[in-house]
Amino acid sequence: MAGPVKGAGRITRLALLTAIALTIFLAEAQIPALTAVPGVKLGLANIVTVYVMFAMGPGDALLVLSARVFLGAVFSGQMMTLLYSAAGGLLSWCVLCLLGRLLTKEQIWLASPVAAIFHNLGQLLAAAAVLRSWSVLAWLPYLVIAAVLAGLFTGMAAQALLRRLERIQK
Amino acid sequence: MKTRVILFLLLAAVAVSAAFLLFGNQNPRTPVARITRDGVLLEEIDLDKVDVPRSFVLEDESGSNTVAVEKGRIRVSKADCPDQICANQGWISDGAVPIICLPHKLMIEIVGGGGELDGGAG
Repeated sequence: MAGPVKGAGRITRLALLTAIALTIFLAEAQIPALTAVPGVKLGLANIVTVYVMFAMGPGDALLVLSARVFLGAVFSGQMMTLLYSAAGGLLSWCVLCLLGRLLTKEQIWLASPVAAIFHNLGQLLAAAAVLRSWSVLAWLPYLVIAAVLAGLFTGMAAQALLRRLERIQK
Repeated sequence: MKTRVILFLLLAAVAVSAAFLLFGNQNPRTPVARITRDGVLLEEIDLDKVDVPRSFVLEDESGSNTVAVEKGRIRVSKADCPDQICANQGWISDGAVPIICLPHKLMIEIVGGGGELDGGAG
């Protein structure tokens, strides 16, 4: 990495990354649901979140994540999903911050499945709050398994992305 | 080292989840469907006593869901929300997972007869 990017360069990069994440998010939203379990998806846009977290830092990751979550809800026309995405996103961001301190550059692929579990947990907790019932947590086992699989996939993609972009920027 | 610990924890999380799905299924002997909105009980239906299939509409300012019941099972047959998650889920007949319509804050869960948890079941 060519050192921290500042000023206009940083803004431009964040804008570009947000646009990429949003595009991936909306493209993925067109794919029909894989299972009957609500909330199960690959979450490909999180490749960008993980990349920003490790390449540019937690603050920038939060900026890109919140911009993507908000614009994603606006563009997909489902504003009511905002609450759940925000809850999941925030919780997984916290976990990613912790893991960012713990893990070395070669272990980034591991951060994603852990963050994915907490993303789904956050979503379910938001749903439990809306429905005023803990019964929704019955979905948790399905969502944990899905999160680990999807998280490993996006984590490895983020790892590959970091490695390649590093080579380009040298 | 760290890699192994995290991988182990992930594996453990998957294993516990799988165990829950495989062994956690309660099948209440007398399934009762409990329909709530915003945590408030709307209706309670003893599914074993439904001899004639019927359906009814649950409506409020957020939208409407059409609920269908048959002997031993229940589903949302129609909903006017954009995601259709509740309708796509189809019939449920046990307490494994509830049907949820988040946009309408509606939940249909199946519980054992005579209370939240049927202590003697299983």
